[in-house]
Amino acid sequence: MSAMDPTEIFRQEASELFEVLEGALLDLGQRPDDRELVDSAFRALHTIKGSGAMFGFDKVAAFTHEFETAFDRVRKGEIKPTQELISVALAAKDYIRALIEDPQSTDDIIGEAILDDLKRFVFPDQAAAPVAEIVVAPPLAPVESKQAGWHLYLEFESHILRNGSNPLDLLDDLCKLGPCFVVPVTDGIPFLDEMEPEDCYLKWDVKLHAACDKDAIDDVFMFVSDEMKLTLSPLEHVEALPPAPLFQLLDEELTPMVAAPAPVEAAAPPVAEHPVAKAEPKSEPRPEPKLEAKRDDRGIATVRVQAERLDELMDRVGELVIAQARLTQLASSGSDLSIKMIAEEIERLASSLRDTTMGARMVPIGSLFGRFRRLIHDLSRDLSKPVEFVTTGEDTELDKTMIECLADPLVHLIRNAIDHGIEDTASRSANGKTEQGRIELAAVHSGAQVLVTVKDNGGGLNTARIRAKAEEQGLIAAGAVLTDHEIHQFLFHPGFSTAQTISALSGRGVGMDVVKRTIENMRGSIDLSTRPGQGTTVTLRLPLTLAIIEGLLIRVGEGRYIIPLSAVEECIELTAEDERSRGRNFLNVRGNLVPFLRLREIMSASGAPDRHQKTIIISTGDTHVGLVADQIIGNHQTVIKSLSKLHSDVTMFSGATILGDGTAALILDVAQLVALAQSKVEKQHISEAA
Amino acid sequence: MNDGLAGERQADAMQVVMIGLGEEKFALDAGLVREIIDPVPVTKVAGARAFVPSVINVRGNVIPLADLRIRFGMPQLDDTAETRIVVIELDLDGEPVLVGVTADKVYEVTEISQTDVQQTPRVGMHWKPEFIRFIAKWREEFVIVPNMERILN
Repeated sequence: MSAMDPTEIFRQEASELFEVLEGALLDLGQRPDDRELVDSAFRALHTIKGSGAMFGFDKVAAFTHEFETAFDRVRKGEIKPTQELISVALAAKDYIRALIEDPQSTDDIIGEAILDDLKRFVFPDQAAAPVAEIVVAPPLAPVESKQAGWHLYLEFESHILRNGSNPLDLLDDLCKLGPCFVVPVTDGIPFLDEMEPEDCYLKWDVKLHAACDKDAIDDVFMFVSDEMKLTLSPLEHVEALPPAPLFQLLDEELTPMVAAPAPVEAAAPPVAEHPVAKAEPKSEPRPEPKLEAKRDDRGIATVRVQAERLDELMDRVGELVIAQARLTQLASSGSDLSIKMIAEEIERLASSLRDTTMGARMVPIGSLFGRFRRLIHDLSRDLSKPVEFVTTGEDTELDKTMIECLADPLVHLIRNAIDHGIEDTASRSANGKTEQGRIELAAVHSGAQVLVTVKDNGGGLNTARIRAKAEEQGLIAAGAVLTDHEIHQFLFHPGFSTAQTISALSGRGVGMDVVKRTIENMRGSIDLSTRPGQGTTVTLRLPLTLAIIEGLLIRVGEGRYIIPLSAVEECIELTAEDERSRGRNFLNVRGNLVPFLRLREIMSASGAPDRHQKTIIISTGDTHVGLVADQIIGNHQTVIKSLSKLHSDVTMFSGATILGDGTAALILDVAQLVALAQSKVEKQHISEAA
Repeated sequence: MNDGLAGERQADAMQVVMIGLGEEKFALDAGLVREIIDPVPVTKVAGARAFVPSVINVRGNVIPLADLRIRFGMPQLDDTAETRIVVIELDLDGEPVLVGVTADKVYEVTEISQTDVQQTPRVGMHWKPEFIRFIAKWREEFVIVPNMERILN
């Protein structure tokens, strides 16, 4: 960890702070009188400014400083946080983020424009005032000391250069505090033949003519304080000052920038506290002293762990689960009681270890929900559809990789809900609805699944229009009998869009099919339900984790295979009648025609088939297909292992796992299997036609 | 391991694991070999290329099992008491990949001298020359040093 680029650490921290800031600003839009929110936003700003300056993001520090200055008036209660002000503040936040993440893409002019906007709201009475005046006003407060300056004597350890510190840079930093008179002390320099070229022999005597406080000076040497001797004494008499007006200007403009590192200490707790802030944002803001005390115990309570380490841990646990399954099998076949006891003990430990490890990878989904508040805020402004956004179940936990995968699908769904779902204000009030639309984002545990729902109270899906569009695109024959549910499935068809005009937001017909594919790749499924005039609910059903799945273990010939249980609909026996019908591989399942595939043929299994063949009905998308196997062995906790590169040409299998007896079994990729069979059939048709 | 020493050794000798496939003897670069294990139950992978017909479980990892005999057009024998699986680590397109290789017999770990190395003759070989790094002499016998990366790609 020590090798980590400090700038990178700053970027990470800043991105978390931005989340806090954004959350606070958006909340403030709804509860303008909440003092704690103002404080929380202010603290986040302050920390960004402080660490920005510390890590050399001077532009960030300067801009944030002005932002902070303006926002200070809100904090003091002198002005109200209006919606307009929040919007500008959000724009300012985005600008700071751009400054940190991609400085090349930013333009000073944009920053100035944002600041001007900000000032217009914050200082309405002096809108025309020149920038300089405003900047100078508040930061004067801390600079109260009447002192003329400091006398510093700097003595560095001789190896300081080898550690990558450059005393000259530090002196430059010091000069930013105020005009400095620097005299190098050369008496430590040895003769040339005794001199180590990489050692530092110089000492410095510095007179700093600035009335800054001691902390500001300490901050300059913060990172080298262990490797140097700093003797600090107040300067009594003023010598050789530059002309007063210039000095004042320099001092006042620069002090805040360099003094910025000082607040870091005090403002650090929100970072450490972040998980709490995510889970219950309202409890986060506290008075400063309490935070300080709280940080001490929280520092022990949470540890930052690299994501790869968690992945590795999960791998090891997977191996343990497999080894334990073998042990259990071995123990149950023997008669040794003590071995059986140990096997049971290990089974218990392994399963609790698995749960703990999986728990450590779990992240509350609230961290994801937070991102959408901004999206909705912006969309509702752009489309002038006022929308109330309600989230529930933020503390529902999901595997971290799942959370990352969920972001894009949810963006699509929420965009659709606002753009297509929620009607405009006029038609809402005409239909006797509240003018403000409502979008609910909820997450809830349901067995081994998590349900994430996006619900709007808009107009609902226009089934007739979807149908017309499907007919127009030739997806169904005109007049075909379809249930509403079947018609709605066309929304997931690639390139399908009912929007008459293409807006910047949606209507291009990409989106829903991507959503569906992403969710299915996560071994989840997606449901749509709608009530005309009342709204639409999209439900995503997701497994808790990607590393271990529930599978159905089957046997085909001598080989054993796993079918993901989430794809399995039902298991039925293949009757003798179905068995005979070689020509048309169809089953009659309660009146529905279901095609089936013989796994024995696909896997080119040897040996005689079992007399009673079983069919596993699987669903992929809206197609149901039967897979014929020799035997259904039962449920299997499947630890997923990927196949090696040498087998990357085999698409039928999504991975492998290890069974209780130590042999490897392949996991069927249901969607690929069906696609493969379909293309085979098509080829057959072509060759038959020719 | 001392890198300098290993490098020095490489100049005149090469550590190899001597394996037997059918009637032939092959020398696998010992640097590639991770372990040698007894035969384990294999799982056939339907639709895979003929020379990597199956996967096996080695210490909780599912790795492909390659059959060099197929690559060299040799008859496949049934497993005997002497059959072993040599697990090697290869670099395929910049990624380390573990592969098991079936050997009808594993003789020993030995050194072959670089001076014994013979250029692959262009004629008189019924194998693709690109599969062979070079031919060396070991105990008055000619042994093949295969180019595993080529064979498995």
